[in-house]
Amino acid sequence: MSAPHLPPAFAESLLRRSIANTEWRDAVSGDLREEYADLARRRGVAVARRWYWRQALGLALRFSTGRLIPMVAPRRPMLAPDPDTEWHSRWTWLNDGRHALRALAARPALAGAVILTLALALAANATIFNLADALYLRPFRFAGVDRLVVVASAPENDPLADRSSVAPADYREWVEASATLTDFAAADFWDPNLSEIDEPQQLAGFRVTPGFFRAIRATPALGRTFLDEEAVPGADRRVVLSHGLWRRRFGGDPTLVGRHIRLNGEPHEVVGIMQPGPSIPYGAELWAPLAYTEEQWRERRRGWLLVVARLGGGQSVGTARAEMEAIVARQRQAFPDTHASREVAVSGFIQAMRDEGAGPFLAIWQAAAILLLLIASANIANLLMARGTERQQEFAVRLALGASRWRLALQVMFEGAWLAALSIALALPLAAVGVSGMRRGLPPSVLRWVAGYEFMHVDWVVLGVTALLGAAATLFFSLMPALQASRAAVSDSLRQGGRTSTASRGRRWLGTALAAGQVALTLALVVGSALILGAVDAAVNGVLGFDKREVMTARLTLPERPYVEPEARRQFLARVMDRMRGMPAVESLAAVTFLPYAGASSSRPIHPEGAELTPAEARPADFQRATPAYFETMRIPVLEGRGLTEADREDGRQVAVVSRSFADRYWPGVSAVGRRFRVAPEAPWIEVVGVSGDIMHDWFMNQRRPTFYRPYAQDPALTMAIVVRTTGNPLDVAGELRRAVTAADPDQPILELRSMEQVIADKLGGVTYLARALAAMGSIALLLALMGVYSLIAYLAARRTQEIGVRIALGATRWQVIALNIRQALVITGLGLAVGTVLAVALGRVMTSALFGLVSLEPLPVAAMVVALGLTALAAGYLPARKAADLDPTTALRTP
Amino acid sequence: MPPKTPYLGEFEYAVLLAVIHLGAEAYAVPMRELIESRTGRPVARGALYTALERLEAKTCLRSRMGDPTPERGGRARRYFTVTPLGLRALKSTHAAFTSLTKGLEAVLEQP
Repeated sequence: MSAPHLPPAFAESLLRRSIANTEWRDAVSGDLREEYADLARRRGVAVARRWYWRQALGLALRFSTGRLIPMVAPRRPMLAPDPDTEWHSRWTWLNDGRHALRALAARPALAGAVILTLALALAANATIFNLADALYLRPFRFAGVDRLVVVASAPENDPLADRSSVAPADYREWVEASATLTDFAAADFWDPNLSEIDEPQQLAGFRVTPGFFRAIRATPALGRTFLDEEAVPGADRRVVLSHGLWRRRFGGDPTLVGRHIRLNGEPHEVVGIMQPGPSIPYGAELWAPLAYTEEQWRERRRGWLLVVARLGGGQSVGTARAEMEAIVARQRQAFPDTHASREVAVSGFIQAMRDEGAGPFLAIWQAAAILLLLIASANIANLLMARGTERQQEFAVRLALGASRWRLALQVMFEGAWLAALSIALALPLAAVGVSGMRRGLPPSVLRWVAGYEFMHVDWVVLGVTALLGAAATLFFSLMPALQASRAAVSDSLRQGGRTSTASRGRRWLGTALAAGQVALTLALVVGSALILGAVDAAVNGVLGFDKREVMTARLTLPERPYVEPEARRQFLARVMDRMRGMPAVESLAAVTFLPYAGASSSRPIHPEGAELTPAEARPADFQRATPAYFETMRIPVLEGRGLTEADREDGRQVAVVSRSFADRYWPGVSAVGRRFRVAPEAPWIEVVGVSGDIMHDWFMNQRRPTFYRPYAQDPALTMAIVVRTTGNPLDVAGELRRAVTAADPDQPILELRSMEQVIADKLGGVTYLARALAAMGSIALLLALMGVYSLIAYLAARRTQEIGVRIALGATRWQVIALNIRQALVITGLGLAVGTVLAVALGRVMTSALFGLVSLEPLPVAAMVVALGLTALAAGYLPARKAADLDPTTALRTP
Repeated sequence: MPPKTPYLGEFEYAVLLAVIHLGAEAYAVPMRELIESRTGRPVARGALYTALERLEAKTCLRSRMGDPTPERGGRARRYFTVTPLGLRALKSTHAAFTSLTKGLEAVLEQP
């Protein structure tokens, strides 16, 4: 390596900025460089970079905050302004800043509480914002993405509709007919198995029309992209690799272009390597030409292509949409058989390709984080106002000595700014921890479908947003103390000689409103997080319809060409099953096309016998193909008739087992066994031989979808999952399962090898993590709100020490004194709960509609939370009230 | 009148000893390694810098900047030497510990 290893530049500049003394700055950053280079040599750059970030952040914190707090501060704040200087001169500004810092350092506990509170709230916001920015707002950041659109045969307003839906014939007509869109390109899923290098591996790939790379404005780093004459059957065994795949699997070998690699057991020529860039569509790492025969291009009924295009000059998504709708309207007239209900959707690339399901989730979490920040700010405002009241005298003296009211207000604002700056400095490392936690919360199997995953890290945008939020919060919480400071009444404060008295009515109401606001927001947040936690708990521990314990699973997809014959597929599976069956740990094993909770499914339109349905009227049901032992292996009960058997062979009767909900939908009230249905108007009839229990195939759909199971032998699929019920730990058979697959076909990779419990945990991992994060935010909010109520009551009681002393001296009972103070707590709690209940119900409504019925708002749990929060808040108010009642009247009256 | 001999904390004591051990090579990186290897306890970089700064403020240490080197990105090392006052503080702390341990050899030198 010629160039020395350099540490992360951002971390280094952060560190250097935090050290004021130039000699120390050079010495410290030089030391770290020296150690970094050494560590990078010994343990690798990745370890060294992580180490450097940890050291730099730790040192930066130490040098910025650690240096400021123990700074030698005068015991008493300076009271008088410098008489010689104009307040707006540069030096005065600096003086004010330094003075504000000293005022904070004089109260380290207060400053610490405020900084910690604000930092936590800011970190929560930064984390969620980064997530929203990376996954939802800007998941694709390549040049020209704003002019790229996706055209789909799906209704516009259905965010979950599949974008890969365009029929080949439609695509060709659109290319001809559209004037507003240029650079049309189509793509089709093609996940080939790469073999001969290390272990076989299935790669994420696409077959694309040659114009695809021009449409997305991507250029090759080496070689070229596809030629038009390569997009014909026979000439299409060529691939373009992504930069990442080239580096990862081929070591960045520059001579790879022109050579052949083995995909799906066949040699393919590598014609190009792309520049580093986005992996589109859907995490694609390699591309091959889309080579259809003329007959395939004429397919009009079914659609599966993903179609992208660029907006022509001066065109907008709106004009393109209008034109495409007109084109499809004409197609509906021209092809009534197939296009009667066809619709078209034109949407921007980001809108179409981002994870729409993430939107509502992220919005809810962002809203929760902002609520938390509001609660924190209200809390801080109350603390600072209490502090401001203590300082009335200081302010009065300064006013009397000639300080301007402006300047006093400014000093309080300065204190707020310092608090915000320190909080932001602490919030960023916390946010980095939060973001990396979120990254780890995403299971590897779903990363391909999470666009923008690579942008999940703390960057300048997060820094900017955090700074902005911090500044806004500062303005919010220091405005009132600043006004308070500027309004200090000179004569009153000085005459009172520091004697305590009842707080002014305005101050009391402001404080009450702030504390009540905290209670209200907390109630909303607690109810919201409880709703999500309940939904996640139901998903993880709820009724699945099958037994997830002690089941090992392996998902794989056979390549099309070597397995074009159904018999080859049957034989492959038979070889794997025969080898596994002999193992003592294996109780039973089976294969199924789509594993529950693994994210994929397939459906077919159902035409039951006796009902004449047009293709548009037939409702779809989930379509599974399974080997006979599937129901036994997954412990799905067979309720009526029989399960599938070895006798259901390819040449026998076409049969199916249907789920309870399937049977109830088409033959309500009567037995489904012996009934017949088919999956297209002219298709052969399929006879129902049994009814099975319903299972949860996918939590996000949260319904037991009508499903029918066909014997694998009668219709072998390329995609399959092998499920093995074991005696004991399912992972014990993982190695043997892998060997069985390799023995059956050495080129065949296993896509995922996981226990069924792991499959479910992976599917729910992200949601579980976010639910926990929300619960954590709810708990912090609760703590803050209780602190808020406590400190306000304690403050108000302290202000009335003298009055209480007089009352006790005059014979007031303990309970009368407690009642006097707790009245305020009652007002706060009552007001807070009333507003909070309205907020919580509104939030619950939004959540139930945004999250597709995953959560339901029940009145009883909400009422329980209202009561619980109310009692806790009252308790928080009661403690300081009781303390005030224990006052010794002589002490109270003697207090200066 | 000579300045009052300052009291040394345990860590400051270790830092001063390390400076003397290292002689002309006394800058933060080897100092930390030395203290870690001799005491067997991890030493935070921040704590070391703070201690060095504090000792310099108490004039127990004096520092000078070395020549910039390319491996450090052109940044100079900060070398430390013990001042006479630092040496006095070291001696008095050492003497204090020695007098405290006198008569306890039987306890302290047991394995």
